[in-house]
Amino acid sequence: MQRIPIKLAKAGMVLAKDAVTPEGQVLCGAGTSLSEELIARLKRQGVLVISVQGHPVRLPGEMVLSEKLKELDRRFSKVKDDPVLRALKHLIGEHLVIEEKGEEFLEKLKKGS
Amino acid sequence: MDKAEIKKRLNDIQSLPTLPPIVSKLNEMVADEEITAVKLGKVIEKDQVLTSKLLKMVNSSFFGFPQRISTVSNAIVLLGFNVIKTLIVTSSIFEVMQASDVGLFEHSLGCATACGIIAKRRDIKNPEEVSTAGLIHDLGKIVLRSELPDEYEAIVAKAKEKGLYMRDMEKATIGVGHGEIGGILARQWNLPERLVFPIEYHHKPEQAPDFKEIAAIVHFSDILIRAVGFGNGGDPWVPPLDHGAWERIKLTKSQMKEVIAELDEKLLELQDFTLDIKVEG
Repeated sequence: MQRIPIKLAKAGMVLAKDAVTPEGQVLCGAGTSLSEELIARLKRQGVLVISVQGHPVRLPGEMVLSEKLKELDRRFSKVKDDPVLRALKHLIGEHLVIEEKGEEFLEKLKKGS
Repeated sequence: MDKAEIKKRLNDIQSLPTLPPIVSKLNEMVADEEITAVKLGKVIEKDQVLTSKLLKMVNSSFFGFPQRISTVSNAIVLLGFNVIKTLIVTSSIFEVMQASDVGLFEHSLGCATACGIIAKRRDIKNPEEVSTAGLIHDLGKIVLRSELPDEYEAIVAKAKEKGLYMRDMEKATIGVGHGEIGGILARQWNLPERLVFPIEYHHKPEQAPDFKEIAAIVHFSDILIRAVGFGNGGDPWVPPLDHGAWERIKLTKSQMKEVIAELDEKLLELQDFTLDIKVEG
């Protein structure tokens, strides 16, 4: 899932969460596939940010997955010997992979290694 | 500089916001057992600026109420007076922090979010109180920065240069850590011990005289929010885990997975909130 500003929305993207106005009014449910018309309507109604499935947009300044994983390693570099924190790091790494590539990709990765 | 002198300097803090007069009035009112949330709310609502700040905080995603809270008296009923009081006391400090250190501001909001998620899972009676403890756990750092700016800069520079934790550099440079400093200040403000101890002992939660569970949650949330790389707590490293505290609040692998996913989602919402603040500021 990725949260993106409405101006980066493209037809064909699928909503991962309900599209809501800043006032909290739900306009469109999760699972809806976006069309040009629908995007225009959401903009008119004041929607600023939407959550879409997958990770279709690379936002400015956003790291690619491999960099994110390297940063994760670096943050944990002082607590490498702690088994609990090692497990935590592993779970966060898995979460990053799933967020970007989906659950199936992680399963394949696990089977492969 | 020794501890006594630090304490003295904290005692006559000038630049840091002192308690808004409204807080002592509210304290008096709360001492009166007849007082109701509605009456308290009315007093606070006379101050429109404070009211709008307060409502913004209580509606932010780290407390995570599904419906909008639109009045102060509702906020008092839902969050409890301890939380509202703390938010009033610290609102000016957070303004200072937003302006001077967005990274630390985000670290604090993120830690509050993690605290709320874990506290709710543990069925703690007032999870918002734990969120609030998380929100202000690094109070000492803000005080250091504004009261001892030279020492603070030296600490940051040394930590960076040597690749060490800020907390160790604080001890080496001024003899006390930010946890202890935060505790001193929180006590001066008469915050309740369930908030003072978790601030003071967030690096060594098992040594807290009481409220060890809350201290443990704040301790782990501080680690977790650094682990996912949200905000900036001064140095970039995940700090050591206190295993005694972990035994107290330990999560299974699948629970941890859920917490990470829930946190990630809430942090995205939080980014909208901080963005909102930045735009307004």
